[in-house]
Amino acid sequence: MASEIDIYNQYPLHLDPASKALSLPSSSAQTATQTTTINTELQELNQLHRALISLDSPNIPPPPLPVNPKRSAQITKLRDSANAAYRKSNNAEAVRLYTYAIEMALSRPGWEPVTLARDELAGLYANRAQAHMAQQAWPEGLVDSKASVDSKGVGNVKAWWRLAKCLAEMTRYEEARSLVLKALEIEGRESDGGKELSGLLEDVDRALERPAAS
Amino acid sequence: MVDWLSLAVPLAYLGVLLGSLATFSSLYRKRKARKAASLEPWFPAHLQRDIYFSLLHLEPSSTSKEKKAPAVPDSVLKAALLRRATEDIRRVLALRSQKQALAMLLQRGSVGDDLWQRFQRAEKEMEDEVRDVVSEANAYTPNWGQTIFQSANEMLNNDIYRKRIEEHQSKLAEERQWWDKKKASIQEGFMKELDEGSSGTTGNGAAQTATTTKTFETATSLPASSVQGSDDDAVLVEADPSASQPAPTPATPSGGGGGKKKKGKGKK
Repeated sequence: MASEIDIYNQYPLHLDPASKALSLPSSSAQTATQTTTINTELQELNQLHRALISLDSPNIPPPPLPVNPKRSAQITKLRDSANAAYRKSNNAEAVRLYTYAIEMALSRPGWEPVTLARDELAGLYANRAQAHMAQQAWPEGLVDSKASVDSKGVGNVKAWWRLAKCLAEMTRYEEARSLVLKALEIEGRESDGGKELSGLLEDVDRALERPAAS
Repeated sequence: MVDWLSLAVPLAYLGVLLGSLATFSSLYRKRKARKAASLEPWFPAHLQRDIYFSLLHLEPSSTSKEKKAPAVPDSVLKAALLRRATEDIRRVLALRSQKQALAMLLQRGSVGDDLWQRFQRAEKEMEDEVRDVVSEANAYTPNWGQTIFQSANEMLNNDIYRKRIEEHQSKLAEERQWWDKKKASIQEGFMKELDEGSSGTTGNGAAQTATTTKTFETATSLPASSVQGSDDDAVLVEADPSASQPAPTPATPSGGGGGKKKKGKGKK
């Protein structure tokens, strides 16, 4: 058994001396599917390697906590300017800035805590959904608020409301109704957003009743 | 003086007994080990691990013929090790989640014994693997072994999360298309009804209600027809039985959607 840990499959990898990027020579004796999986893996590896060499010596990922505050500060700055643009009802600009902030939050290195990324992105997506909704771009708002809700299901009343609202605006009342009910279950009727959710539920119900009454 | 001859018989008996027991035990164990080894492994080949070891054994001569040229820089090896740790985490989690269910199935006799053996072998292998990774990490940088799996865990979770978000965002084009089509069909149906105009009250009713939805900018310039709204309600209700369906049929959703909208807005 002791020898088993030392057994492995050897791959004829090639290391580019200049860029240190790894690749698999095409002439190797792997099947096509194997080659593709190895190549995707090598791509991820190269990406990770680039991320690692950009770190300080000794080039290992720091422990998840504490987080490097630089990126958070940048994201916060972008979000604030986007919020300002939204408040001036400059919606296109707000969407653009939110998109930048989202990209920046998405490109957080993988070893930083996932809960942090989730929190950040939940807020950013919810805000971008709002900006989209202000332009009556319902599908975009729907997708963004869905992403937001998925990032953070609890304590995210606004995103739930926006999600249901988008669906209702797109005349998909059944979906909207089930989502509002789910949101009420999660957030509770007493929370600040609960009243608005209940209001939306009433609207949706009324909309559903009309065709049903015939 | 001991009588060696009379002692020889029980000693020989003992010797034969122990000898046969030992032979049987060793044979049995060997056979069992061979059987266990011949079982299919639980997981497919550990690609990240293979790559890591391939890198370790990459001959300097294969990359550059002359000069010393250290085969692979440390940073690449570290990255490969990190990838390996991430895959390990995934496997350990998979094992952990499967264990209980498998034990239950085994208890009920729903699965065979060799499945359980395969599982236990995988568990043992993963234990060795994790220990190996930790010691390798410590060899690169002191104390890295303590955090490498934390980092790997976050990387795994981040990966999963990013994929989900990507999935959501990839639906955008589809939703957009659906909505564009739906909107067009609503507008078209509404325009048709407008053209028919005076021919039927239902058409007017639908037209009127649609004007109140703020989604249709083109429609908002028709406030005059709203006068008839309340009279038409009954007719309208009869006219759109299938309106709640999101199916983009031309005429019915316009009446339904508009009707619903108007009702909702009227209460506000």
